[in-house]
Amino acid sequence: MTADESSAEVEVPLTTKPLSSLDLLNAKLYTWSFWKPVMWAVISIVLSLIVSAVIMLLSGYDPLLAYRTLFYGMIIQPDYALYFATPLILTGLSVALAFKCGLFNIGAEGQVYMGSMAAAIVGYAVALPIVIHPLTCLAIGAIAGGLWGFVPGLLKAYRGAHEVVTTMMLSYTAILFTQWLATYPLREPGQVQLTPQLPAILPSAAIPNVVGNYLHWGIALAIVSVFVVAFILNRTVLGYEMRAVGFNRDAAEYAGIDPRRNMALALGLSGALAGLAGAGEILGNYGRFIDHWSPGIGFDGITVAVLGRNHPWGTLLAAIFFGALRSGGTFMNAVAHVPIEMVGVIQGLIVLFVAAPRVNDWLAKSGFGYAIWVKNEPKIAVPNLAALVFGVISSVLALGYCTMKGLGGMFIGLYFLVAIVGAVSFGMTLSKYRRAPFIHVVLCMLWLLTGAVDSLYLGGVSFRTAAVMSIAGFMIAVALFWVRSKMIKEGRCQP
Amino acid sequence: MAESSVSLDTTSRNAVELIGICKTFPGGVHANKNITLRIREGEVHGLLGENGAGKTTLMNILYGLLTKDAGRIIIKGEEVELQSPQDAIVRGVGMVHQHFKLIPPLTVAENVVLGLEPILVSTKMESHLGGWSVKSVGVLSQILPVDLSAAEKRIVAIAEENGMNIDPKSKVMDLSVGQQQRVEVIKTLYRAADILILDEPTSVLTPQEVDELFVTLSKFKEQGKTIVLITHKLREPMILCDRISVLRDGELVGTVNREDTSPEQLARMMVGRSVSFTVEKPPKEPGSKVLSVTDLVVYNAQGLVAVKGVSFDVHEGEILGIAGVEGNGQTELVEGIVGLRKPKNGQVLVNGKDLTGKSPRKVRNAGVSHIPEDRHKKGLVLPFTIQENLVLGRHADVPFATGPRRMLLNLQESRRVSKDLVQTYSIKVSDVSSSAQTLSGGNQQKVVVARELAAQPKLLIAAQPTRGLDVGATEFIHQVLVGMRNAGLGVLLVSAELDEIVNLSDRIAVMFGGKIVAIRKPSDTTVEELGLLMAGHEVAGGSDER
Repeated sequence: MTADESSAEVEVPLTTKPLSSLDLLNAKLYTWSFWKPVMWAVISIVLSLIVSAVIMLLSGYDPLLAYRTLFYGMIIQPDYALYFATPLILTGLSVALAFKCGLFNIGAEGQVYMGSMAAAIVGYAVALPIVIHPLTCLAIGAIAGGLWGFVPGLLKAYRGAHEVVTTMMLSYTAILFTQWLATYPLREPGQVQLTPQLPAILPSAAIPNVVGNYLHWGIALAIVSVFVVAFILNRTVLGYEMRAVGFNRDAAEYAGIDPRRNMALALGLSGALAGLAGAGEILGNYGRFIDHWSPGIGFDGITVAVLGRNHPWGTLLAAIFFGALRSGGTFMNAVAHVPIEMVGVIQGLIVLFVAAPRVNDWLAKSGFGYAIWVKNEPKIAVPNLAALVFGVISSVLALGYCTMKGLGGMFIGLYFLVAIVGAVSFGMTLSKYRRAPFIHVVLCMLWLLTGAVDSLYLGGVSFRTAAVMSIAGFMIAVALFWVRSKMIKEGRCQP
Repeated sequence: MAESSVSLDTTSRNAVELIGICKTFPGGVHANKNITLRIREGEVHGLLGENGAGKTTLMNILYGLLTKDAGRIIIKGEEVELQSPQDAIVRGVGMVHQHFKLIPPLTVAENVVLGLEPILVSTKMESHLGGWSVKSVGVLSQILPVDLSAAEKRIVAIAEENGMNIDPKSKVMDLSVGQQQRVEVIKTLYRAADILILDEPTSVLTPQEVDELFVTLSKFKEQGKTIVLITHKLREPMILCDRISVLRDGELVGTVNREDTSPEQLARMMVGRSVSFTVEKPPKEPGSKVLSVTDLVVYNAQGLVAVKGVSFDVHEGEILGIAGVEGNGQTELVEGIVGLRKPKNGQVLVNGKDLTGKSPRKVRNAGVSHIPEDRHKKGLVLPFTIQENLVLGRHADVPFATGPRRMLLNLQESRRVSKDLVQTYSIKVSDVSSSAQTLSGGNQQKVVVARELAAQPKLLIAAQPTRGLDVGATEFIHQVLVGMRNAGLGVLLVSAELDEIVNLSDRIAVMFGGKIVAIRKPSDTTVEELGLLMAGHEVAGGSDER
């Protein structure tokens, strides 16, 4: 290649080629503002696993075995994970889309039920050719869910009724309405089951499976929906206007955008996505409408959207992660005998940690002192707050044990001592007394001692509690002393 | 040189010495580059500079809110390493921030003692216990009642001493902005501050409140307190300051004595070139009517009549200035014209087309552009990118919308146009796809102006277009407005700054109590007469120019 050719090649893209969205995405991948929320999501997951491990220890399960089976279960059955993820992707998108327009669609569950009922009716009552039949059912389901979202949208836009209240209440209405339909007018004739249900959908309406016994083609529909929602939000006038209304309603109105129309449409679209989730589950999975069939996919959509930061692609990843957690959870339940509800605990904790900075920001804004402290000096505030909470928990737990055991003076005395030292540690940390970390260490040592004595005589739950508390306490102590040494170095604390 | 004479001073006479201060923010903004500043004891020192010049950063370093990257801080002869505002407060440094740090539902006294409650408790306990120290109480101090009555007495004493009037029992949310500022000042005095930093104290005050503040500040000076006044306005340091330091782009341009300088010199130091305060305006014959407003009645958000039957015309090639103290119906008048608020009565004609009560989009499409008075609340969607903000309002029109029924966004086109606008209006941005939040106030306003003028309007409505802007940006906006008028646009300028109205307008309408009380030509009137009209006094013998 000659020098002339290479220079020409360099210049051409600079002058003529317009920047594609892929280039923009590439540029975005190198910015901290893109990676920061991702980092925090990962940290939240790790933190929630740690806390869940403590809960499992305290309730007498082996967290190591549980997590081994959980992760194994998450990996070995990708189809099972995607099967759980399918409706979550759609309900997550539903919540995320409404949120982009500044609306909190808390009633996706009701829209799911309306969508599923409409799809189930079309599925058994109308005879249509293959392929066309499921597509019709899905469309009708989306429309039913969409209308169920559009009504609170209209109420919000033109009458100012808050969407959190209206969507929630209409959610109950939908669940009870479909229950009534399934119990009386549309009940399967000659049905003997206790749970009311509709007749099975016609075979032509069923969505076939992709592989195995679970995963149906609804997953393709869900992934296409992610593309569609991302396209609507970023590439269409409608999406632009919705986002403008969500960020700043006054500025949108000033710019000639009708905020009312956009809010009603956003909740309508949001409802349509939830309705689609319900319709897909009926056609691909349940095969008929059964009363109270949904395991709460509408509400899980909120957690998916929170973990996915209301971003379409983030929602997809979050839904797949939660789906995998569910599939791993059943495996964990079967092998380690940890209740499946533990997955719900992990899921809830993740959302709690993901939302914690935002909640803290909000608290700091409304003038809550500790929140401001955490915001300004997280490295100092977080260990101190942990010590504070540790003191309270120590006190309460120990008091509980010394009244429960009723086993001779030594136990009562030891636990009572722990309770008192816990209270003192709490007070000292609260008043930011400079020697509070030492009291904290004394408390940890007392827990260790109690655990040792307990293991000799009784063992069991109280022993495990003491062990966990002393380990957690010493970890907090390490952080406290690290902070303290730093503060002494900076001259903010006397040695 | 003024600087050299300053550095010859002995350190003992300096209240504060900042030597070689450097500060770089994450992201690579050099806010302070090797700044050396000496503030003498008992002087009023002006710190002048455009927005983003590094004034507030420098003072936040002195107050311990930010840590410096390099340099030394000497307060009253003692070299210090400040880790938090607490370290600065104990050395007598107090700061009043531009945005107040008050808790609205609490009373004045509660706000003032905020953070000092344990001390109040111990002093009360000590008085009960007859001088026995209660330092050892420690933990208990958290749950003992706070003695507010003593604090209230001291607040009243401090206020009276300095000619301020405040009720310590009233809630902060019930106070006016000027009174809230007083609470902030008292907060610093309560902590026995004798070096007072005031960050843009006048930007939120009415002219009358500014005068009151200046009286208070001169009292402080008599008491021997040292005052640092951060500002970007030229008038204030010339009234009050002994010496003035000018910062530009994070560097100290120089320190001058007030007697030796002039506003022109200060402006040159601030901007780096000479600034014209009056705009060159060639005479121009107004053309046909662009906007015609008749008997307009508009209600405000509380349902009260804010605009009580207003009539006026704006012609092509003319700037009609609406003067008036804020809150006399100007906001509602503008909103009534552009469609953000439905008028109850009257008519709005643009180029002969009836636009009364039409939606904002219809008004825009009729060729009306609007620079709103609050760029954060209305003018911009701050989390949006600059590119998205630059097409706001035109996003649904060709060429920014394509496809069937113009439903899709044409991102390439909007990016191209945005880049052009950024260049034409010299908006300082790293990239058009960064968010509008990252811009300084002046550049944000330039985004709004660029966008509104790019729509090629027939009529431009500019409400408070230079509020909160520095000298350079204000000059730029003024030139743009006059340029539009020369190009044959009708311009309706609403401003609370009388100087701006007088300098730019071809005709001046004065608004008071929801009515236009007079319309004058600038040549036929005086600032005094306009001031009286704005205050609601009837002026006899004035000839109205409708």
